[in-house]
Amino acid sequence: MARVKVSEAEKVYILHGIRDDLRVDGRSCEDYRHMEVETDVVSNTDGSARVSLGHTAVLVGIKAEIGKPRPLVPDEGYLEFFVDCSANATPEFEGRGGEELGIELSNTLYRVFNNRSSVDLKSLCISAGEHCWVLYVDVLLLQCDGNLYDAISVAIKAALFNTKIPRVHMSSDEEGGKEVELSDDPFDCVRLNVESVPCIVTLCKVGHRHVVDATLQEKACSVASLIIAVTHRGTVTCAKKMGGGSLDPESIFEMTEAGKRVGKALHAPLMKLLQQEESLGKKRQKVGFLG
Amino acid sequence: MLKSKTFVRKTRAGGVLKVVREHYLRDDIWCGSEACSECKQESTVLQEDAIIESSLCPYPHYLVPDTNVVLHQIDVLEDPVIRNVIILQTVLQEVRHRSAPVYKRLKDMIQAKEKYFYTFTNEHHRETYIEREQGESANDRNDRAIRVAVKWYSQHLKTESNTDGLKVVLLTNDQGNKEKAEENGLVVYKFDEYVKNLTANPELVDRLALSNDEKAEITSSKVLFPEHLPLSKIQSGIKSGTFLQGTFRASRDNYLEATVFVQGEGEDTTEVLIQGLQNLNRAVHQDVVAVQLLPRSEWVSPSAVVLQDDGAAKDDDVDDEEEKALRISAAEAARKPTGKVVGVIKRNWRPFCGMLNLSQIKESTRHLFTPADRRIPRIRIETRQASTLAGQRIMVAIDGWPKNSRYPNGHFVRSLGSAGEKGTEEEVLLLEHDVPHQAFSQNVLSFLPKMPWGITPEDMVKRRDLRHLTVCSVDPPGCTDIDDALHCRELENGNLEVGVHIADVSHFIRPGNALDKEAANRGTTVYLCGKRIDMVPELLSSNLCSLRSNVERLAFSCIWEMNHKAEILKTHFTKSVINSKASLTYAEAQMRIDDTSKKDDITESLRGLNKLAKILKRKRIEKGALTLSSLEVRFHIDSETHDPIDLQTKELMETNSMVEEFMLLANVSVAQKIYDEFPDCALLRKHPAPPPSNYDILLKAAKSKNVEIHIDSAKALADSLDVAKVDGFSYFNTLLRILATRCMMQAVYFCSGMDSDFHHYGLASPIYTHFTSPIRRYADIIVHRLLAVSIGADITYPDLMDKHKQSALCNNLNYRHKMSQYAQRASVAFHTQLFFKNRGILNEEGFVLFVRKNAIIVLIPKFGLEGTVFFDSKDKAAPSLVFDEQGPTLKVEQTTFNIFDKVKVTISLDDSNIQHQKIRMALTEPVIPGVSVAAPDAEPQAKKTKLK
Repeated sequence: MARVKVSEAEKVYILHGIRDDLRVDGRSCEDYRHMEVETDVVSNTDGSARVSLGHTAVLVGIKAEIGKPRPLVPDEGYLEFFVDCSANATPEFEGRGGEELGIELSNTLYRVFNNRSSVDLKSLCISAGEHCWVLYVDVLLLQCDGNLYDAISVAIKAALFNTKIPRVHMSSDEEGGKEVELSDDPFDCVRLNVESVPCIVTLCKVGHRHVVDATLQEKACSVASLIIAVTHRGTVTCAKKMGGGSLDPESIFEMTEAGKRVGKALHAPLMKLLQQEESLGKKRQKVGFLG
Repeated sequence: MLKSKTFVRKTRAGGVLKVVREHYLRDDIWCGSEACSECKQESTVLQEDAIIESSLCPYPHYLVPDTNVVLHQIDVLEDPVIRNVIILQTVLQEVRHRSAPVYKRLKDMIQAKEKYFYTFTNEHHRETYIEREQGESANDRNDRAIRVAVKWYSQHLKTESNTDGLKVVLLTNDQGNKEKAEENGLVVYKFDEYVKNLTANPELVDRLALSNDEKAEITSSKVLFPEHLPLSKIQSGIKSGTFLQGTFRASRDNYLEATVFVQGEGEDTTEVLIQGLQNLNRAVHQDVVAVQLLPRSEWVSPSAVVLQDDGAAKDDDVDDEEEKALRISAAEAARKPTGKVVGVIKRNWRPFCGMLNLSQIKESTRHLFTPADRRIPRIRIETRQASTLAGQRIMVAIDGWPKNSRYPNGHFVRSLGSAGEKGTEEEVLLLEHDVPHQAFSQNVLSFLPKMPWGITPEDMVKRRDLRHLTVCSVDPPGCTDIDDALHCRELENGNLEVGVHIADVSHFIRPGNALDKEAANRGTTVYLCGKRIDMVPELLSSNLCSLRSNVERLAFSCIWEMNHKAEILKTHFTKSVINSKASLTYAEAQMRIDDTSKKDDITESLRGLNKLAKILKRKRIEKGALTLSSLEVRFHIDSETHDPIDLQTKELMETNSMVEEFMLLANVSVAQKIYDEFPDCALLRKHPAPPPSNYDILLKAAKSKNVEIHIDSAKALADSLDVAKVDGFSYFNTLLRILATRCMMQAVYFCSGMDSDFHHYGLASPIYTHFTSPIRRYADIIVHRLLAVSIGADITYPDLMDKHKQSALCNNLNYRHKMSQYAQRASVAFHTQLFFKNRGILNEEGFVLFVRKNAIIVLIPKFGLEGTVFFDSKDKAAPSLVFDEQGPTLKVEQTTFNIFDKVKVTISLDDSNIQHQKIRMALTEPVIPGVSVAAPDAEPQAKKTKLK
């Protein structure tokens, strides 16, 4: 992952600031940086979203394809993740530099999102045991300025919200042969219920306190961090510790509580924003990457 | 401006694909009107004073038809009165998608300058492009696009300084669309409403296709037929095997019976019998239908009864009695799979030729129309000019067949002229055989070379200059499309050089252009008696491509070096330039060869060719090539009236076979060359060996004269035919060969990549193609192109190398070829009728060719005419008939008829049915009391013509 070098004096300055709940850029410990969300940015996907958080920028595209359900859960569709660490984001990613990070990210995302409590996987089933929708979630990192998980999770939630899956139905004949039939109206689509899709909140332990949405400098001062996935109700669906340092149980508890609080607060404005954008329909001015 | 169009599509693998297309809008699409000064167009199409006399729109106006109007009312739109029409791109695309023939007709109209049809690309115009909205069906979106375009036009023309009130009129038959257009303040009329108010041309009303609400009004509300199933149900039914898909073929003799040919796996087809009006369920000949098999207990056998749907229009109830008659006769015999039509997958309606039966009620405007083709049901049409149309051949198109109507509904398209007249009948037979015979369109003609034409130095680059050679052509008299010429000369080494020079048509017809497409569609030139329907425009067929004498012509030459035993030492293909020294007829060439005093170059060359040809022919026959026979007749046509005044069977001379021999040799050489070069996409011609069962009739016939025929191979057949002779019956051998011809299969074109059996049975050649007549056959053009590519004289193009496209082309060529033969035969039959019309009753000698259950078929060698002598007739009690299938023989009273028996018959023209005139034959010798007729006194007039 992208790193910056921080001198001892800087470290002390950052640590002291956090201790006093005042971070370098003026935020308090549980504040996010400025966040921008835009959906429907890539026309040849079924759903897409662009999120920028501070200087971190990610693009998520979702393609729905028909596949075979997994044998253990014949009545559910599933999601597949792929994270592309573009060399645009940081020169470190050049060549195969971003591969390891990409795999790590996609594995985590798979664990967070591909379960029936996060996404209504049953609604992706077309005919049990035979056909289901597979959502290929492609994440493209465009710029890294810390806190990738949070930005990606918000972008995925927005892209899932934006996803329009063509409505299909199964036609069957007497001999049991089934075939997928497609509606000829391009507007005849199924939307996903994204209410319970969690957002990821990363909490970094800096000194004795923890911060959300750490910048690269703050990250450099932290020894360990905890990522937790929180639904709009404040339920934690997944937690993972990252980084080499250790966390004592008490601070894990504290961090989880803070994460829940922050995560819950993140969902409401995000949903409001997405619905607002949706209601504008075609009149919406597209911003894109250059705006 | 950039927009994107998005749609989802199902992939072949069963997946779903989202497709996004970029769609660019522009602001430089002009309106095409003369009245407009704003648009910066170079030329305009639409006239400023666009007046069609109409009581509805007295002002000048442009018409904008919607898609359904174009699709259904194309017959009216084609009328010269309808001018100044704007065809929107939306409409054009939809028409193209829904009906290829209508699309082609529409394109032809747009091309025609005098129609003033303008295509407006509204889908790319910045102000008329619209996007599909949520909840809007594709059709609604297109309707809206049309309205938006009309709106734009009316505003665009209004802002001009023109004060004469030029308006744009939308024509639609859709009530909803009309209402919405009125809300938008557009001038909109229903199409029939508009046509009915054309004050100057009331006759156009007859050509209107009926719209749905009118159809309901014509017919009673009683439902006569079961409903057709929707397409989705049919498709799933076919997949599961409940229904069978096949082509519907109505019976010629029985209007209540039809067969459906179901194409099974591979080659085998099954036939399903359909009987009864209910089961036929409104299917028309050649439709693709879905049938359901009836339970085995309800299976029937084809009835032998001849039933024709005639008499007055029936009161929309099914003729129970006739159907009953059908059942009873069927109950005894062997049963066949029987089914019923449950739905129509694809209608194959075309305009039908035929005649009008006037309604008994004088004032009625609804009449029944009887098509010339007996397999087509009668059609109900509405016309106000019935009295003028009676006695004329007319064309009628079917509009639909509602389930509560006994007959399909249709509309009048055009009149072809009085029945029985030569021109009319010729037109009918061309139309009925689907021979494209309209004049070439402007678009096609635009690809012709500009006159005066000459050979340029560029032409010479890849050509050999053979102008110094003594080339000459030998053809039938009066031939203007000469596509082959020959030469022969002795080389210094003592060998002979023989050249076959074929007109280089592919030099003039370039792949893919309109001229090429038209020729590919026509497939072949059709020769009727006294008329020729060209495949390529006359400038090419009779001038630039025709290898006339003493002019320089481009040719494709095939040159062999041969020794005096006619063994090929070297073969060479090249494009060339030749200058033919003489165009001879077969007779002229023969005379030169025979006249020993002549010693000029041409004659020497001919003698050399003749000598080689004889050797070639002998070799070919040794290999097992068949010499078959069929009688071909030639009419002597009166130069003034164009009526046939005499007919004679074609004579064959040595020179005929000389030319033929070298053409065969060239074809075989070329076939080998293109197959070696392009094993996957060579266009070849094959002639499959007939199955042994085909020979049954020949074997039986020969046996009856104690002659043995071997059919194990072509060679055996040819040999046994050669020795088959009966003393005192010189014509026997010819008759046998005529019979053998009937046993043969059709030769067909095919693409080498799609087939493995290349053998040509009749010619006993392992490979064969057509190379030598590119002026009159499209297959030869393709072969020329392939050959040109293989010798590096021309470039290739993708379609030439695509075996599937080649194969599709072959199917068309085979179809056109077959149809042209039928048309040719029909033309001969018609001329024979004309000939006998003026001759009264003739008495002639003939031979029995076939024996049937109730008739014998007699061949009159003198006229090459074949006719049926029936022994049972409707009004007379039938004599006792005993048919023996083994012989086959037919015993009538005391007289037995065998194949090849010599009989005498009277020949006369039966014109009791004006649509189906036929030659009637009646027996005079042997005399059978009550059956044969008395020989007429030989009329002096008839005698005289016979002596001629």
